[in-house]
Amino acid sequence: MTGKEWALITFTILAQMSVGAFVVLGIVHFFAARKAGDEQADRLSDMALLAIGPVLVLGLLASFGHLGNPVNAPKAISNLASSWLSREIFSSVTFAVLGAAFALMQWRKIATPALRNAIAWLAALVGLFLVFSMSQVYMLQTQPAWDTFATPVQFFATTFLLGSLAIGSAFVANYAYLKGKDPDCAEAQCSLVRVALKWIALASIVILGVEMISLPLQLSLLASSPSAVAQASAALLFSQFAGLFAVRLVLVFLGAGLLALFVYRYASQPGSESLMGTLAYSAFALVLFSEVVGRFLFYATHLRIGL
Amino acid sequence: MAKQLGFYFDSSACTGCKACAIACKDRSSLPVGTNWRHITDYGGGGWVPDPNHPDLLIANNIYVYSLSTSCMHCEDPACVNVCPTTAMYKRDDGIVLVDASKCIGCRYCEWACPYGAPQFSEEKGVMTKCDFCQDLQAQGLDPACVDACPMRALEFGELDELRAKYGDVQAVDPLPDPNITHPSFVMTPHKNSQPVGSGNGKILTVSGKV
Amino acid sequence: MTEKNFLTKTLTETMLTRRSFLKWSAALGGTAALAGGVSYGLKVAQATAEKAASEGEWVPAACWGNCGGRCLNVAHVVDGVVTRQKTDDTHPDSPDFPQQRGCSRGRSQRQRVFGADRLKYPMKRAHWEPGGGDKSLRGKDEWVRISWDEALDIVASEIKRINDKYGPGSILWGTNAVAAAAGYVNTWGSTSSGTWAYTAPRVITSQSNMGNDRLDMRKSKLIVMWSTDPICSSGGSPAYHYLQSKKAGAKFIFVDPFFTNSAQVLADEWIPIRPGTDTPMLLAMGYTLITEDDPATNPLIDWDFIKKNTIGFDNTSLPDGVEPDENYRDYVLGLDASGHPAPVGHKNYPAKTPEWASEICGVPPEKIRSFAIEIGQTNPVAFMQSDALARVNNAQSVGQAFVAIAAMIGSIGVSGGGFGQTRHAAAGNRGPNLINLGSSGTVLDSPKNPVSARINNNEVWDAVLTGKYTDGVGPKKDINIQMVYHTKGSRLQTTVGQAKGIQAMRKVEFALTTDFHLTTGARYSDVVLPVTTMWERDGYVTNPNREAVFWASKVIDPLFEAQDDAWIDWQLGLRLGVYDPNLTEISNLQQAVNRVAGATVVKEDGKTTEPLVSITEDDLKALGVTGEPQTGRIPIMDFKKAGSYQVPRSEGDNFTFIALKDFRKDPVANPLDTESGLVELYCQKLADDVTALGWTAIRAIPAYIPPERGYETTFSDWENKVKGPYPLQMYNKHYWRRSHSEFDNVLQLREAFQQEFLMNPIDAEARGIKNGDIVKITSSEGSSIRPVLVTDRIMPGVTQLPHGAWTEYDESLGVDKAGSDNYLEAGVPTVEGHSGFNSQNVQVEKWNGPGLAPDAQWPQRIPLKEA
Repeated sequence: MTGKEWALITFTILAQMSVGAFVVLGIVHFFAARKAGDEQADRLSDMALLAIGPVLVLGLLASFGHLGNPVNAPKAISNLASSWLSREIFSSVTFAVLGAAFALMQWRKIATPALRNAIAWLAALVGLFLVFSMSQVYMLQTQPAWDTFATPVQFFATTFLLGSLAIGSAFVANYAYLKGKDPDCAEAQCSLVRVALKWIALASIVILGVEMISLPLQLSLLASSPSAVAQASAALLFSQFAGLFAVRLVLVFLGAGLLALFVYRYASQPGSESLMGTLAYSAFALVLFSEVVGRFLFYATHLRIGL
Repeated sequence: MAKQLGFYFDSSACTGCKACAIACKDRSSLPVGTNWRHITDYGGGGWVPDPNHPDLLIANNIYVYSLSTSCMHCEDPACVNVCPTTAMYKRDDGIVLVDASKCIGCRYCEWACPYGAPQFSEEKGVMTKCDFCQDLQAQGLDPACVDACPMRALEFGELDELRAKYGDVQAVDPLPDPNITHPSFVMTPHKNSQPVGSGNGKILTVSGKV
Repeated sequence: MTEKNFLTKTLTETMLTRRSFLKWSAALGGTAALAGGVSYGLKVAQATAEKAASEGEWVPAACWGNCGGRCLNVAHVVDGVVTRQKTDDTHPDSPDFPQQRGCSRGRSQRQRVFGADRLKYPMKRAHWEPGGGDKSLRGKDEWVRISWDEALDIVASEIKRINDKYGPGSILWGTNAVAAAAGYVNTWGSTSSGTWAYTAPRVITSQSNMGNDRLDMRKSKLIVMWSTDPICSSGGSPAYHYLQSKKAGAKFIFVDPFFTNSAQVLADEWIPIRPGTDTPMLLAMGYTLITEDDPATNPLIDWDFIKKNTIGFDNTSLPDGVEPDENYRDYVLGLDASGHPAPVGHKNYPAKTPEWASEICGVPPEKIRSFAIEIGQTNPVAFMQSDALARVNNAQSVGQAFVAIAAMIGSIGVSGGGFGQTRHAAAGNRGPNLINLGSSGTVLDSPKNPVSARINNNEVWDAVLTGKYTDGVGPKKDINIQMVYHTKGSRLQTTVGQAKGIQAMRKVEFALTTDFHLTTGARYSDVVLPVTTMWERDGYVTNPNREAVFWASKVIDPLFEAQDDAWIDWQLGLRLGVYDPNLTEISNLQQAVNRVAGATVVKEDGKTTEPLVSITEDDLKALGVTGEPQTGRIPIMDFKKAGSYQVPRSEGDNFTFIALKDFRKDPVANPLDTESGLVELYCQKLADDVTALGWTAIRAIPAYIPPERGYETTFSDWENKVKGPYPLQMYNKHYWRRSHSEFDNVLQLREAFQQEFLMNPIDAEARGIKNGDIVKITSSEGSSIRPVLVTDRIMPGVTQLPHGAWTEYDESLGVDKAGSDNYLEAGVPTVEGHSGFNSQNVQVEKWNGPGLAPDAQWPQRIPLKEA
């Protein structure tokens, strides 16, 4: 594992988390506005929105770490015609620009909500395309461990799992901040936060299910493949990386399953916000760790066919 | 102007001596770790009890053959398709080159090429690869590997002409499926060649890889 | 990032003046050229090519390995720096008139000449003093740079002091100056030829008179390649010649413990055989030929030749006074003097049946039988070998047994046949040189060496350690070696018993090496003197094979303070007071020109000759030498520029050579140089001369002696086949990375060829060893560790350690990490005192100690930090 791989792990995790957070935030904001009005919805989500940007930028900066010759980086969008990597880079920049524009406009309340909304939608679509492009980068005939249905499925799972839990944690932090600053507002926020976290916990459990289905399916696909290289990739997970793989599964189960269950429970109980918050943070931390390990394994177990 | 230059390789004459690979390294001053031409020894068979003398082990179809491959200057090059900066490009004569002044060293081409042709240079941070000795060709000379082979197992030229002369075998085990990138490569298989993807033999190195 | 470290290290620690350093590193694509952001590989290659077009010149450069190929090597020189090499393009290439193309070693010469590990200055060991100082530090001491004056003064004074104190015979190896001043002990014993050295001339003929030329070999129906792998051992053209035989329809059968790279291309069949068991197999094949032959229905034996051209085949052709059952036929058939089966205990017992042989050699008896019948029935058969079967302890009879088969199947002296040695420059292509060089015209005589004591290679290190050595039958003689001079031949690396050799090097008072890298000998010395390579001198003129002559030029000036061997000897001689300062030798260039001027080339008629070169007065002036104008085939300056002249050949030309053709036709008019003038299947002289050496009494017929450390000795109980403590055979094969021990330090060759230890999967599995593991190989002499290549290409029960790696003994681990073959080999003097490299028994186990970095990542041996 070289420095290059860590740069990619960081970039893909942070970028996917940013996209997921942005989309989840948008969904939450939509329903929160319907339930409690724009002002409360904004109060719920504005801070979280502003947090997404730096995370994305951090991820983009990290990606430079995998380049041997970063001075030519601007040239990387030159092959939109055939290179998914060009498309990925283009869409990540576009998502960042649109997301930043939206965040700025939302923060300063520039222009109309409709226009802001439109930009948000556009950014979200570009963001989803970004995650899709990222997954397509890895769909190479020469990389059997990557060239399966599981790659896009896992990438989107990571996107929404981390995005949801990140937003959940952001809401909890925001709520604590508001409570300290403005106790009245906090009360109004409280139920919004609790409802959001309930749905986030549910989403986590569902996505956990998706991961728990796709991972074994992918493994059996590889292990039973006629390609010796595919089999060797699978074998790596059972031998050299067996321990890490176990850690990855256990942690995501604990975070997105067990803890999410308790988040749901305590989110349903008014008065348990503190416990709920702790659980939300813990769930996010465990899942983030697990996803990083999972992404590490993604890069560690790929083997190229041929010479 | 050529349409598509390609290599011809006679595996039935190749001894695995690596003179071609070393000639290439010398000609382009490649350091340890960068090899634009690969030699692969592939073999199989085993030892079984002699039917008349069960205590005695005899060789059972033991075979070995060697392959010398470089960049295949493919007709549908994966490296060119995936390169985000167009540093990897294909010329009119079919030669695939890397323009290091555009390369960002992301190594995506390295993931995508089935033949291990793009090689990253730690020193410079960009990719390098066999360039078909295009500057020697411009002087009317042959690529260094072709002239080096003591068994005369390498030739090069217009791919159509090579196919007309030598047939259309593009791969044997352990070379990858030629349908992935359509290599500009014609070979005469060794008499013990194994079909692509069969996995009947093993690469004969301590790592099991080239 | 190991690559970066190495490239950086190579560039920063090497070379010349700063100016030439920058140019050289630019040429090698190094940091200096890249600092400005120039793209790697592609553009540097362009720059080099542009330079090629506009500046620089192509200079024929020596390829001076002892490999036999010695192909044409040409260096591109730009401002005193070599940017790349090429091989022969002096004429269009064709199978009949092939280019002399080099191998991966020759193509790596510039890495060797310009490597960061070139010895630059004379040096002495930090803890050396006259008498030796702390001798235990030899091999691990620090080095101190000294001046040439100081170095030569030390050497001269030590020679004087040691010779005065201990008398003549206290210096091992030396040069002319040492001979003149003190004398030195020499070693002896066949290394390359094994037991053929004594056998060949006494039984039949010199090895240089065996085999046919390459065009004639295209007429062979069947070519037996017994323990010969020309592709590895004689890189370059030989394998290409054999390929032409194959294309012409010859069938190839390889007899070898290993499915070699030659076999992979040429073999129609591979007969695996255990190392050192060739004599039993050959005898059993003789048994088959004799018992199956029927002149009417199944003629297998060339009876005309046996009757007319040999003695000793049976009791009708023995010399007077010899016991009647002391003949080849009775021995092979296991008969006594009355023609009955010999009883147990009789010298001819048992019959050398295929069943008897099979137990030893591992070839099924059915195969021995069918193989013998096939070569008996086929005509013509080329029955060839490359001496590996004779580099086996006790194997004096293998050559005679081999010749017996060749004689029986009618391979001697016939077109499309051929027998015996195919090796080195004559691999696949025997015959007298078509171009013969003139004499060098040296004016000074070599001084006589007053010391007559000679120690056999197998005993040399014991002689240093114990003070005793064998000199014929009788008690051992005394010797007291106190100085070792590693002057050439890499003796400490290429002599058997290296583990003892290292001990010996730590015993003597003074050790000296002249070399251009820190080779094994240099490492264990007190004083090391840097010499020039062949690229830094004139004078390299050679016949690479019978059809060509090369003349390499001086490519660059000597690097740093390197000097010629001849200059070093000269300086020593002056200091020792044995040379007249007014009498100097003619220059290397003059010697070369003399040899070229005197060279003659055979004309198309195959008989008459003409001078090779024409020389004008202008030529002599341009070269700066003396001589006479002359006319010849090609202008001398054309030859010098091209570096090569090769005689064109074609089918039906007059350059055919069929060894012993005239002898076959009329042995009376064309006798051999043997005592009887005939092929001696009973050879008294061989028996007498070998027995007189004092180690083994042998018979005059090819009687089998089980080799020490052969196959039989892997058992502690042969009858019940119970294996002993060293149950596996080990043999040492010529290896692509090196020519003997040369090139072992070249990084790109270490990358391409990784000095793997070879084992069969059955033996590996029995020891829990997997492909790629590090294994520990132990013999009676010590242990080595190596990565293992587990492969079916090698017979079960047999292992292979490639020959020539420079030992890298690790004191803390107690093992040699490099896999030096001679570190595990023991010096075992037997029969004619040859080195039995292919006889050793080992045990192998998985290594559980610290890992081993790939050879290409080992630090280079750079003894002095750059001043």
